[in-house]
Amino acid sequence: MTAARIVINEIKGYHRFIKFMMVLVGAAALASAVRFIFGLGATTNLNDLYPWGLWISFDVVTAVPLAAGAFTIGIVAHVFHIKKLEPLVRPAIVTGFLGYSLVCVGLLLDLGQPQRGPYVLFNWNVHSPMFEVSMCVMAYTTVLFLEFLHPVSERFGWHIPLRLLRTLELPFAILAAMISTLHQSTLGTFFLIAVDKLHNLWYNPLLPLQFWLSAIFTGLSIVIFEASLVHKYMGQPDESDLLATLTKIIPWIMGVYMLVKVYALAFLSHGPLFDRPVLTALFSVEVVVGLLIPFSMFLTKRIRTDKQMQLRAASLVITGLVLNRFNVSMFAMHQPGQPAYFPNFIESVVTIGIIAAHILFFVLVAKYFPIFEHHPEATDYTIPDRFRKIEQHGEGHGKASEA
Amino acid sequence: MSSSTIDYGKTKTFLIDTTKCTGCRGCQVACKQWNQLKGEKTTFFTGEGYQNPPQMSEFTFTRVKFKDYEKHGQNEFAFYKEMCMHCNDPACASVCPVGAFHKTPEGPVIYNAKKCIGCRFCMVACPFGVPKYEWSKAFPLVKKCTGCYSRVKNGLHPACATACPTAITYGSRDEMLKEAEKRMAAKPDRYFKVIYGKEEAGGTSVLYLTQQPLDELGFRPVTKRPLPSYTWQALRFVPGIFLTVGGTLSLVTWFQHRKDRVRREEEERNNRKEGNQ
Repeated sequence: MTAARIVINEIKGYHRFIKFMMVLVGAAALASAVRFIFGLGATTNLNDLYPWGLWISFDVVTAVPLAAGAFTIGIVAHVFHIKKLEPLVRPAIVTGFLGYSLVCVGLLLDLGQPQRGPYVLFNWNVHSPMFEVSMCVMAYTTVLFLEFLHPVSERFGWHIPLRLLRTLELPFAILAAMISTLHQSTLGTFFLIAVDKLHNLWYNPLLPLQFWLSAIFTGLSIVIFEASLVHKYMGQPDESDLLATLTKIIPWIMGVYMLVKVYALAFLSHGPLFDRPVLTALFSVEVVVGLLIPFSMFLTKRIRTDKQMQLRAASLVITGLVLNRFNVSMFAMHQPGQPAYFPNFIESVVTIGIIAAHILFFVLVAKYFPIFEHHPEATDYTIPDRFRKIEQHGEGHGKASEA
Repeated sequence: MSSSTIDYGKTKTFLIDTTKCTGCRGCQVACKQWNQLKGEKTTFFTGEGYQNPPQMSEFTFTRVKFKDYEKHGQNEFAFYKEMCMHCNDPACASVCPVGAFHKTPEGPVIYNAKKCIGCRFCMVACPFGVPKYEWSKAFPLVKKCTGCYSRVKNGLHPACATACPTAITYGSRDEMLKEAEKRMAAKPDRYFKVIYGKEEAGGTSVLYLTQQPLDELGFRPVTKRPLPSYTWQALRFVPGIFLTVGGTLSLVTWFQHRKDRVRREEEERNNRKEGNQ
């Protein structure tokens, strides 16, 4: 059998859902090819009034906090040293790595001159929030890639990188948190320049702080969301005991976030707040569905044991975050009297394809690499004694099979 | 950004007296000619009122807006020449990740197409909605009024200012402000009491005199603070926060791991004791 035949046979064996995801990704790839042939004006509903649309609002501004699970669980498990949570770290890192890679893809599609992307590295403008986010996203994607090499080295038995990555796990977790703090908050700084454009319900100088806090509790919710779904649909062990620890942490951060939001709204906003009914409605949905309901769910005792409730609360938090980011970057940027922006078919196909690609690659990575089976105490991190330096002294503890 | 060292009083500035504008649109034509911009196929009355083209675009860097109003029961027109305001501290220059925009000491805010990556943050940031995009191209760039930098550098006045028979005066910002105030003092009935551009967005190199209140003419209400200060008030904390987060988390790590280490050592000691017994 040729290599191609093996691949085709392998794909034929996949579940129908995976095949469907592949079709969606293929459609998105075609749609993005159209963008490079006919231009942004012909393929999107963007115009001079709406220079940023769905691709920025979802693929960048929303996708970045949705990929925050990797750094938040990294802090909880490694920095705060809650060892039992380690099984949750690897899936989160895979999600994060895929998330950030796809953010880069989305950003490159949206740029007018994607081939000039690296110019950011050579033309520093430290006054630009976009400069900071670009640098951070590039740096953090690299860190996530290195972290992702961990299961890869384990799979292929690369002992020295594996040992090295194990040693670097903690420094990487701290570095990830440092970089993430910067760019998660700076995504909020983006909209501080839109002084007379972004509506007062969202515009206030504490927007960066709010973006950072909401990224943290959403990151942890994403971990719950993903672990619950993986248990439900991919036959992985039930981790709800571990998730219970997260359900104790999330309400604290949500609480601080809500205090900051109320404070900013009450004391730091200027101008009328509730003058536009549509925005008022969007704001209330965001606060009630995305904050108050899940917050009260996280406060109950039942959520520590109830898998269903954990998944539901996490989903609500995620919905709230998505709505919040769309409110800030799209709905509340709309000026009264202007025609409204709606993403067109091609824009939607690309964004749906990016979401599908995330799910697809996650399932495939989980299929071929040790993502869930990882239990650090059971992993062999020793370096095999290929040169028999140690065994001469009768102390060999390298893997016999590798020698 | 080098703009902090610029003496704004000396920057070249447009004083546009809308009370003297006749709506001839000579400035529009001159701009198209000098910048070699393509004509646009437009239909009358697709924008608001009589103005054509309906808005500024990649092909139209300036245009005269028409405003209908009634005076003594008669229909009258007011005109307002829309163009890049050439801010003293431009938002576009501050948000551009590659620094493709900058304020020149001569006055114009210019754009370097060779650096641009096409992210369109300038378009989101500009409070006046000036930068436009080449939507028709597969690899688009930004387009905007150059303030005729190439002409100004060689001692000429911008194309629109040269073409205008009545309304545009061009000179240093200090002189233009003085001139505007002189006109307002000489004919107080003729002018609305605000110079648009004197303080808007921290001051601009385009100043407007009007007869009607500004909002009636379609001038955007814009903050008096330079826009870059809004993002800088958050961005200035970046290095500090980066190090604080790193330091705090390192300390927490050390402390949390120490608890573990101490417990392990204690266990070992106990084991040894038990072993000795």
